[in-house]
Amino acid sequence: MTSTRSPFGRRASGVAFVAGAAAVAMTLSACAGGAASGSNADGDFSGEELTVLLISSHEGASEWLSTEFEEKTGATINPVIVPYDEIGSKLALDQQSGANTIDVAAPWYVSLGDLAADGAIQDLTEWVDGNDALDVDDFIPSLWKPYSQVDGKTYGLPFDGDTHVLFYNREILARNGFDAPPATWDEYLEQTKTITENESADGVYGAAIFGQKSPLILGASFANRLAGFGGEFVDESGEPTINTPEAVAAAQALVDVNDYALPTPAETDFGAGNSAWFAGKVGFIENWTDLGVRSQDPESGSEVVDQWGVTFLPTGGGNTASRASLVAGFSWVIAANTQKTELAQEFIEWASSSEVNAKLLTELPPTGIDPNRLSSLEDETYGTEFPEIQEANRATLDGALAWPTGENATEAAQVLTDELAKLLAGEGGTAQETLDRVQAEWEDLLG
Amino acid sequence: MAPAVLSLVVLGGYPLVFIALAAFTESSLGRPFQEFVGAATFESVLADGDATASLLRGVVYALLVAVVSVALGVATAVALWRSVRAGAVVRTLLLLPMITPPVVVGVLWKLVFTPSGGLVDTVLGAVIPGGATFSVLSHPVFAFLGVALADVWEWTPLIVLLVFAALIGQDAAITEAASLDGAHGFRLFRSITLPAIAGTVAAAFLIRLVLAFKVFDLVYVMTSGGPGQATTLPAYVIWQAALQQFDVGRAAAVTLLLAVVVTLVTLPVVAVTRRLHND
Repeated sequence: MTSTRSPFGRRASGVAFVAGAAAVAMTLSACAGGAASGSNADGDFSGEELTVLLISSHEGASEWLSTEFEEKTGATINPVIVPYDEIGSKLALDQQSGANTIDVAAPWYVSLGDLAADGAIQDLTEWVDGNDALDVDDFIPSLWKPYSQVDGKTYGLPFDGDTHVLFYNREILARNGFDAPPATWDEYLEQTKTITENESADGVYGAAIFGQKSPLILGASFANRLAGFGGEFVDESGEPTINTPEAVAAAQALVDVNDYALPTPAETDFGAGNSAWFAGKVGFIENWTDLGVRSQDPESGSEVVDQWGVTFLPTGGGNTASRASLVAGFSWVIAANTQKTELAQEFIEWASSSEVNAKLLTELPPTGIDPNRLSSLEDETYGTEFPEIQEANRATLDGALAWPTGENATEAAQVLTDELAKLLAGEGGTAQETLDRVQAEWEDLLG
Repeated sequence: MAPAVLSLVVLGGYPLVFIALAAFTESSLGRPFQEFVGAATFESVLADGDATASLLRGVVYALLVAVVSVALGVATAVALWRSVRAGAVVRTLLLLPMITPPVVVGVLWKLVFTPSGGLVDTVLGAVIPGGATFSVLSHPVFAFLGVALADVWEWTPLIVLLVFAALIGQDAAITEAASLDGAHGFRLFRSITLPAIAGTVAAAFLIRLVLAFKVFDLVYVMTSGGPGQATTLPAYVIWQAALQQFDVGRAAAVTLLLAVVVTLVTLPVVAVTRRLHND
């Protein structure tokens, strides 16, 4: 009998082992680079280049920043745009590998502790403390500490304020007999349920719930409710408090609305949720305040111009005071091994300034940037063009819920997100059981 | 000999040594090999129900996808072989899924399964007017099967290619002699053709098994490992640990455990392959 020749012979067992190993081999390299800084006293950096790492949502802002900074200093900005969930690893690998192509980055503030522990970003404490021009007292107080500091040291400067508020479609609410947006999460559930029951056959749903399994997406939806119910991620001493009655109520509120949201929360990321909002297909969406700027811009594809309103996040349980939730938020950091520290400092000082932040708030096409300073929050142009958004943003002035930011905070956020995803999928038991598991893991990671 | 040794060291040795060192040390993304921790990371991973469940899920997924891919691949290859003169265009078209970038495959199937205007939802809506929206990727079982279907669609052409090559490499004289002796149709296939290509089919099954264990792109694009943990497969856990949580030590430990699992699952297949070739 004729048989086809096979690559598998006597050493087949060895082949199987190598195949198994090769199937999963990760190729990571380990080496490190050195640090140095240039010098320039008169602020003229003509001919120099700075590579800045940003997330895709900040691409519009990067174009504005590049143009303006080159005009101001003569330096060229080379933006490197990556997905929002890759910026931390991209920066860490760039520095750890010795490639050192990145000079400045704007990662999620929650990753500051891990990036600092990995030696991927510079300790800016001395520079910040000795630089009055930074005017750190003007940063919104509830943002300043989480967005900049880890264990008493300063590693970043706030860039994008990024607090969530509740947007609502006035026409959809009116069609369903509601003349005001919800003040509590119970009212939110009732209105969402009513809209979905009345209009889902026409493709209109009560709410878009960001539920994709990512800390910046599903984690944000939970954080909004945690803030509303008056809970905290950790207490004042940094000990996890993620299984308190307030936290359990927040998780349960997420479960309760799951069946009435735009199908389906587990698949709803920023793109899917925002598209439904701009198309006028959802009554509510929790989003960053800059969504209002885009909602008023038909060039951005918005079909809800002048049809929307915005309000504070609802409250729940015994809490009656609305509180901002710092679900995302991005900080300027300087890469540990950059050779251009002076230019990098010049850039982040300028890019985090009140003047720049105020410009970015109202720039068209929208830049996706939210207020980071008290003065830019109260900017006259911002107040004139977007008075409702400005008012909603003032919620950050009365304290805000922030994620933990120390070492392992990134993993802690992922642990919470994974457990919440299981809860929503019906795999995690009750909300209390889910958060008890998170509490136990957080005590190991953060305690 | 030297080039072979060098390539083995570079392609196999270095990554394995790096992974082993990372697994037994405290290693973060920016600072690998900080401190020797012995088997502590392995103990932590094995005590984590989600991590061990992902390994088990990976075995079920790989076996399911490999079996279906090989069954479809063999059937398609035989069909093509029988229409070999008219099959050039069809053979080329069949290769398209395999040469499509995996990310594009994921996006394509995500669009097929999307509950708002996706192909599945639209077809079901036409068949059952007024029915509720059907979301494949939000149901734990259907999401698992949905990712598996995309994987089968992408890689079955590889099986077709391998088996088809084996089919056209058969000794035509043997087939003709069997036909003259009265063997036709399924009996000819079962008694003559299948034994002739069995070694290749088994080898193709092994390759497909390993490819299925490695799947990451489809999970990343289609489900992010959800709903819940339903599609969180080992490669996704490794990516999450290393690049989302900066915990390279944990990623390396899961990687080594996965290597053990893959080896245990593939060893019997290798033994069968060897036996078929020896027969």
